[in-house]
Amino acid sequence: MTEDHKQLQEHVAAYALDSLEEPERARMEAHVGTCERCTSRLDEYRAVLGSLPIGLEPSEPPAEAWTAIQAAARRRRPARGGIERIIPTTWRWATWPLAVGLAAGMLAWNVWLLREISVRPPGPDVEALARRPGRLVILTGTGVRGASARLLVAVDGRHGHLAIAGLRPLLPGRTYQLWFVPASATPVTGGTFAVDAGGRAWVSITVPISLDDAHVIAITEEPSSGSSTPTGDYLVEAHTWR
Amino acid sequence: MSDSGSRDRRPRAGTGLDEPADLDLLSRMRGGDEVALEVLYKRYAGLVFTLALRIVGDRELAREVLQDAFLRCWDGRETYDAGRGRVPWWLIGIARNRAIDLLRSRPHQARLREGEILPGNARTSDPSPSEAADAVGLRRAITSALENLPMAQRRAIELAYYGGRTQSEIASELGEPLGTVKSWTREAMERLRISLWPLIDPKREE
Repeated sequence: MTEDHKQLQEHVAAYALDSLEEPERARMEAHVGTCERCTSRLDEYRAVLGSLPIGLEPSEPPAEAWTAIQAAARRRRPARGGIERIIPTTWRWATWPLAVGLAAGMLAWNVWLLREISVRPPGPDVEALARRPGRLVILTGTGVRGASARLLVAVDGRHGHLAIAGLRPLLPGRTYQLWFVPASATPVTGGTFAVDAGGRAWVSITVPISLDDAHVIAITEEPSSGSSTPTGDYLVEAHTWR
Repeated sequence: MSDSGSRDRRPRAGTGLDEPADLDLLSRMRGGDEVALEVLYKRYAGLVFTLALRIVGDRELAREVLQDAFLRCWDGRETYDAGRGRVPWWLIGIARNRAIDLLRSRPHQARLREGEILPGNARTSDPSPSEAADAVGLRRAITSALENLPMAQRRAIELAYYGGRTQSEIASELGEPLGTVKSWTREAMERLRISLWPLIDPKREE
């Protein structure tokens, strides 16, 4: 077992608790996708943690909680035959052509997304995530030829996944850092991460600002503790996104 | 309304019998089956609410977390990955994340919470009439495993799991070096794993 792996093993428990900070969290995130032993131990820790609430003094939820969930569930997903109920009578002649058109549009969108992702499939869940509603940012290698990244942001605008390929593994003491740059404002960090021996990484991201407020999204190389503002050139970057 | 599982709302230890039923419910929910949603809710809402209440310390906020967690499962904002363990653990993970987000975004609620008596761990008391024997056994085992941890290790785990604290925040709060907290966390999780994993391993019934 390498010294590096021993150090990573020390952090599996804290990682399972979501209690690790950067850059160790990013290193663990990249490591568990490649190490069966640590992944297995992580799964066991997560299962144990998932069972801890069973040991708490039980509390019954209020009855109105289910009423509210039921009402919201019906609003968010129409019942069978609901399409006809919610479309005014005068427009019902357009129901089926509209539905076919929407389905064709969604299919085209998914095909486009999958084509974008499949150029260099960087992570195990990218294809599944790409089919979900959300936004896709494609970063291209301006500072590193051949490097690229895909940032998939969920509909809540806050949770995302970053898939990277083509960046070289860094020496100890250095890290990669993601930035969200507003127009005329200080760049905001999206976290640090490391790539594996193949130059790839798959990282969960908390998006710090709205994509609508960001002017540039970029990745730089920084000291291992991360920086408060980019000190290196943009290695991969994006200036436009949907 | 049918409930193919037991009346007990808690995941049974290692039986494996609830697994296909939970997966079937999720599959039906993806198709818009509200009955499946209600069955899943009746099965796990108590557990999810209990966890949420422990974290946020307020019944109204805990209700928000509960509703948000189930609706996120319903509308597909959260998708289940069988490789990550059983359905109830996944649900608990969703609820915990939402509860900690809420805790962090409402600091005044957190300050109120510090002054309240939180629902603590269950004592190894007599079971309620509706609890199945294996659920009682698991609850006792979990309580016992936590009580057997050295107090410092237990506190580190609880601050991380229920408080959403980072290792540095825990070190600062307890007035201990970061390395010490990391050791406590690692040792505590390993003790819990040794005690509890044999009881909850999904492959136990194979």
